Amino acid sequence: MECMKGHLRRLCLLLAVVGMVLSGTSLAEAAELGGEVGYGEVAGSVDFLSDESYEKPTGDVQVADPIEPFNRAMFTVNDRLYLWVLEPVATGYSKLLPVDIRGCIGNFFYNLGEPVRSANCLLQGRFRDAGLTLGRFLINSIFGVFGLADPAGDEFRIAPIYASFGETLSVWGVGDGFYLVVPLIGPSTVRDFSGVVVDGIASASYSPWNDDTLTTATAQGTRTINRTSLHLGEYVEIKSMSFDSYVAFRNGYYQMRSKQYDHSNHSK
Amino acid sequence: MVFGAVVCSQTTVSAAPDPTEQLRPFLDKVTTTLSDPGLKHMPRQEQSNRMIGVIRERFDFREMSKRVIGQQWRSLSEKEQAEFEALFTQLLQYAYVGKIEDYSGQRIQYLQQRIRGERAEVQTLLVDENKSIPISYIMLLRNDQWMAYDIVVEGVSLVRNYMEQFSEILRKDGYPGLVAQLKEKIADLEKNINKS
Repeated sequence: MECMKGHLRRLCLLLAVVGMVLSGTSLAEAAELGGEVGYGEVAGSVDFLSDESYEKPTGDVQVADPIEPFNRAMFTVNDRLYLWVLEPVATGYSKLLPVDIRGCIGNFFYNLGEPVRSANCLLQGRFRDAGLTLGRFLINSIFGVFGLADPAGDEFRIAPIYASFGETLSVWGVGDGFYLVVPLIGPSTVRDFSGVVVDGIASASYSPWNDDTLTTATAQGTRTINRTSLHLGEYVEIKSMSFDSYVAFRNGYYQMRSKQYDHSNHSK
Repeated sequence: MVFGAVVCSQTTVSAAPDPTEQLRPFLDKVTTTLSDPGLKHMPRQEQSNRMIGVIRERFDFREMSKRVIGQQWRSLSEKEQAEFEALFTQLLQYAYVGKIEDYSGQRIQYLQQRIRGERAEVQTLLVDENKSIPISYIMLLRNDQWMAYDIVVEGVSLVRNYMEQFSEILRKDGYPGLVAQLKEKIADLEKNINKS
């Protein structure tokens, strides 16, 4: 048994090394592309140590909101859906399953998205991240029992890497369009929402439940309820602290996104 | 000789204090206070007074207020500035009193720090059983003391978030409107605190 474990570890390491070598060799190419791709200078990235990031109201990360009345209406719809349906259901669900099981379910869904993330990294010229993300997928699918656990993060210290098609479009120079609150999904922009749709179609193409609509809907529902159950109370808390929760969430969306798009800081 | 070396090393330390080394004992004190079983039995109002007392030690609420208001800060009278600072501090005090109940022994991991001139960012991770939340402290050097004036949770700066909300209120209703809204919000939160 011990010997078996040892073998597993070695194989794991090998896989990880292959991933890193793959990514390492491509670093040079990425550096050449650097100027074009704009590696460190992601649009809207923010430096908290510079006063400019505080002086003009949220500066360059601000996107136009020409359909504000519609967005505000959708914000209210989502607010009601969350408070009246999603949160009560997720609260009941959280009483049925202990938190570590729900964590595993969350890991499972996250892991299924790794190939799409890896592909987006490739499309953005982030070859190292593409290799690491693929490595995470392989390690977690095999040694994390279909992604229920995260040995890639826990044992190999490969932290989850953010990538989405919305970000790919931004790297390719596609603008945000304008701010958009999507029913059931929440804050987005025209570009980011298109990205969500593309990523969704891409991951549905290999998901284990794409046989019929009912199974797909059940899987998506479980995913949403599970995610909500891990963040109960947060929404209400943020809302109670804000003066105009529509503006608070719009601003929060842009700030959070510029952190996600900023890959200059691989601290973990 | 040895004495000289010690004095020397101490003066170099005091010449350039390390932000993380100053933040660490402060956050230790915050978590010790939070996990004090006596705290949870106090009335909510008293709990929040005690917490804000601890937090004041390393948070510069004046600097925070100045940044939240933005360019208009200079056009406010000294009295108005003091009034705003008091209200904004009270808002944060009540908004965060709920955190006392949420705290269940989460650990703080120190990731890295960046220093530029008199500014510093200390990146930390609040580690829970099943999730970890990145929290950064943005600090300013004041007489050998690094004082925090912003807190960035998962990339969202508290100051910049309030700044955007306040700038719309200031544009529409001016400073008196902002004060009125702050007072209203504080009264709301206060009512909730004393109710539960």
